[in-house]
Amino acid sequence: MLGIKLIAVFLVSASIGILYRIPRSLLVYASLVGVVAWLIMYYTMLASGTVVLADFLASIAVGIMAECLSRVLKTPATIFIIPGFIPLVPGGDAYITMLHMVKGQYASGAAMGMQTLLTGGAIAFGIFVSSTVFRLAINNKMERSCQYVDKS
Amino acid sequence: MSILLEKIVALSGLAGEIMLKNGAETYRVEETMDHMAKACGALKVESFVIPTGVFLTVAEPNGRSLTVMRRVRDRTINLDRIAKVNEVSRGLVDGRIDYQDANARLHHISQERTGFSLLPSMLASGAVGGGTAILQNGLFFEIAAAFVAAMLVRYIAHIVSRMNGLPFVFEFLGGMVASFCGSVLHLIWPHLGSDAVIIGGIMPLVPGVAITNAIRDVIAGDLLSGLSRGLEAVLTSVAVTMGVVIILSLNVW
Repeated sequence: MLGIKLIAVFLVSASIGILYRIPRSLLVYASLVGVVAWLIMYYTMLASGTVVLADFLASIAVGIMAECLSRVLKTPATIFIIPGFIPLVPGGDAYITMLHMVKGQYASGAAMGMQTLLTGGAIAFGIFVSSTVFRLAINNKMERSCQYVDKS
Repeated sequence: MSILLEKIVALSGLAGEIMLKNGAETYRVEETMDHMAKACGALKVESFVIPTGVFLTVAEPNGRSLTVMRRVRDRTINLDRIAKVNEVSRGLVDGRIDYQDANARLHHISQERTGFSLLPSMLASGAVGGGTAILQNGLFFEIAAAFVAAMLVRYIAHIVSRMNGLPFVFEFLGGMVASFCGSVLHLIWPHLGSDAVIIGGIMPLVPGVAITNAIRDVIAGDLLSGLSRGLEAVLTSVAVTMGVVIILSLNVW
């Protein structure tokens, strides 16, 4: 069952890549980012049982992998981030929220909606954290080289 | 080697316009224009980019300066073009290609038709829907229905963009179609659930580029662009949700 799901995640990431027209030669890398991120989410889910933590760790991994790949392959990091985080999006939770709201079960709907929002926030913040760390590291390096150029 | 100021401005302005039109982050557009103009011999470059326009001022060593503004109306998503413009800019800075070559390549990039025609992108959209249905533990027929629903969503995107649709119309209609497919399937075969179908159908509508660019713009300090892209992502999600909810409430009633 896990094997089928991994193939499904690969398919989803690759298809998102095709829809957003990322360069064909990079499709495999982008899809693998998605698969690795989903695996991290899956195993964190099994170990801890909290969706928010699982999605946060997985999206940090997406950010790190995307920034590394973009340095190595000299392409924008966005190309790897988007197919990477789409399989993590809490579509099921969002749908259950809508279902509860439509049926008038506002208490359970609000609880589920809060969980959806927190999960979405965790994904966004995971990418935020990893990209910020990378940017800090790069800026630090650039500042040093700039000072060196100024003095010479 | 000296290139006319007008030509430098036109070249960097074109590069910025292509990148912004195809969904690049704000800081990437600004840095690309900066690097390209400086590689052509400009002394000072100032640029200001918002999601709907590009402003660029280039100053020459002899004191002359020129400002252009490019308004960007119809924005699409084509990350392939961004990668290509990025490649041209890197080549120009490294000295691997010269001005004429870069200009020709940029014009080629802005005019070529990249990507796929309707049927392959419909299949890709269907694969997103079907794959998501598998992840939601859907049964075989639910997965097939999710595939069809996501394909229909893509077809609607095609029709709406042909009719010069307003923003968020397509997401709203897409949500309605996905929800409709799921509800009809549940009506015909009551033992099949509509959950996996609807979740799969709305998955291609997730505003991935808007979310990513909003985060990256805020990190880079472009708060104006970050806010407007974040708002775009929120409004898109609300449009999809309303589409689904309206059909679902018909169903419940």
